[in-house]
Amino acid sequence: MHNTLKVAKWEIKRNLKNKSFIIGLFLTPALFLFFALLPSLFGDSDDKPVVTQVYINDQLDIYGDLQATVDEHALNWDVHTTDISETEAANALDGQEDTAYIFVDHHALDDSMVPVYTSEEIDSFFTHDIQLLEEPLRAMQMKVAGLSDEQLALVNQGVTFDERIVDESTATEANNKSGESGLDPMERVVPAAFAGIILLSIVFTGMMVFQSASQEKKDKIAEIILSSLTPGELMQGKIIGYFILGIIQVVVFLVFIIPLAIWKTDIPIMEYLLVPELLLLVGLAILGYLLFASIFVALGATMADISTSGNFQGMVLMLPFLPFVFIGPVLNDPSGLFAQIGTYIPFTSSGVLMMRLAMLEDWPWIEIAIAYAILIISTWLFMKLAGKIFKVGILMYGKNATPKEIWKWIRA
Amino acid sequence: MDTMLSVENLSKSFKDKQVISGISFDVKKGEIMAILGPNGAGKSTTIRNIMGIMYPDEGSITFHNSKTIPRHKIGYLPEERGLYKNVKVMDILLYLADLKDYPLDKAKNRALAYLKKFDLEGKEKVSVEELSKGMGQKVQFIASILHEPELLILDEPFSGLDPVSQDLFKQEMKSLASNGTAILLSSHQMNLVEEMADRLFMMHRGQRVIYGKMDDVKQQYANFKCTIHGNNSRNDLANLPDVQRVEQDGDTTVLYLASEVQPTIWLRNLPEQLTIHELTIDRISLHEIFIDIATDKNLLKEGHKAHA
Repeated sequence: MHNTLKVAKWEIKRNLKNKSFIIGLFLTPALFLFFALLPSLFGDSDDKPVVTQVYINDQLDIYGDLQATVDEHALNWDVHTTDISETEAANALDGQEDTAYIFVDHHALDDSMVPVYTSEEIDSFFTHDIQLLEEPLRAMQMKVAGLSDEQLALVNQGVTFDERIVDESTATEANNKSGESGLDPMERVVPAAFAGIILLSIVFTGMMVFQSASQEKKDKIAEIILSSLTPGELMQGKIIGYFILGIIQVVVFLVFIIPLAIWKTDIPIMEYLLVPELLLLVGLAILGYLLFASIFVALGATMADISTSGNFQGMVLMLPFLPFVFIGPVLNDPSGLFAQIGTYIPFTSSGVLMMRLAMLEDWPWIEIAIAYAILIISTWLFMKLAGKIFKVGILMYGKNATPKEIWKWIRA
Repeated sequence: MDTMLSVENLSKSFKDKQVISGISFDVKKGEIMAILGPNGAGKSTTIRNIMGIMYPDEGSITFHNSKTIPRHKIGYLPEERGLYKNVKVMDILLYLADLKDYPLDKAKNRALAYLKKFDLEGKEKVSVEELSKGMGQKVQFIASILHEPELLILDEPFSGLDPVSQDLFKQEMKSLASNGTAILLSSHQMNLVEEMADRLFMMHRGQRVIYGKMDDVKQQYANFKCTIHGNNSRNDLANLPDVQRVEQDGDTTVLYLASEVQPTIWLRNLPEQLTIHELTIDRISLHEIFIDIATDKNLLKEGHKAHA
């Protein structure tokens, strides 16, 4: 352990003195900030509220009430009456922006349907705002309907706005979906995103472990170093050293990101972040790192130069990106079959589980426990294997090891 | 003298090929012990087994002051050597000393002193990649002796060095040995080894050929040889007394003499009819023994048989 820490310290010191590492350290968050702020830099000119032109074909003599509702809610609308027919609306909207046609006719009373045609470009709040017109229309419905049970039921049914976006080619029907749960999804996303940043950062420094191990061979210093310590100590030292470098990267990243996030959004980040669940997520990230770092350090020891790597090595190098394959299925159904498969494969477990935990309100504790067990066992196993491969590989000069040779070392 | 390291019956094979077969030797405090042999004789493999970088198939390696490899007391300069490229000279020296648990302030002073000694004064803040190959070798050598090792193992320390640097290395090794450091040295540069080694172990194809004190070896194996330039018949020369072997190449004839020959008496008895343009008489050098072994001429075996 004594020697391991010395190696770790050396690797940290060596990188912190290295210009390209320092540049990389600040470049990543700087780039992130740049792209995060980019839309708002360009967005400034668009910030002036755009008036939506709303044409109402009123056949129920309700225009006055609608106008009153619009005024009451101070909607940013310019309301006009029109005689245009539904069929003509599509043509009228062609090439228009921020324009909508609303047809208030007998359908509104009989079927509680109000056809709305909008231009392709329309204020994003229009869909929300239009719901406010339900109020006067319902009042009208009730007035007309009288008091019979049947009609009361009809009234209770409410009014549905049938909104159609008129496209140049096709008119698609937009459905107004409502019903958000009370829980702020950010409460789950924030800690998971934090753990995700950790995992990503240390997976990237994991790549540096690979570099460092193959550098050891390229510079032919391995034998000198190994006259002072064991291959195991050297390997562990590298893994720990780059882990800490990864954490340093995370800290630098967060120093940039958190103030920005607090400034730009209303999410109470610190409140959501500092929860017990965070520990579990960070644990996942660390296990994921250890798994990949041990694979990379062993792989680095089998080759002197990344440019001469064979297919086998190249494929192993891609392993950390395997969770990306699962992004689609997991986002689609966080509890689905693919999500579960991803949870139980060691290489994807960390990433997939993080995505799932960010989306699920009720955490599948049994699955989490199994995934943790799989991760711990496979990490331990891969560290053992890495030790064997590293020991032989690091002293092999001049050529890359073939998978057959690596297999032989593992069995030795 | 105390024995620092004993190698007994060491054997090692890679796949089916026996690289070392049952060699034994030891290294004592304050001496320079040389392992000699042509390329592929098994020198580096022997050293790697000693350093615990490889494990022997058979035999034992004993360090007399400790049960395990006393890594902190050994200085090692491997054959395949280099340094991290993008670090400063002083940083790498201190790191390597730190790995040996050597106090850093002491290491720093010693490093500066050695850099000065090896003509690298002011280079401590230079990045390793800016050093020439020879400078790099010097830094590696300094790294191997910085922590005052009791046993210094040098695998081909002279390869790639110019004569001036070779001399610097040689002097430093001699002074270390006289201060009590045990030095195990592998080389195929005979002239250098002949000058400085106290004892030698010559191996070929993984087997011992000669082992003993340099002076004894020279006396025992290095018989006199007489080189004659002049047109003479091979038979005439072969029939001379005490001639074991004749090698003739045009007008040059080399006569290998028996070990008990008295040069003066032997010269006096040379027949008058010999054509002699030039005549030299000297001992067979280590270099010749080495070449002899490497090219399987078996001169040595004959000499050895005659002696036995």
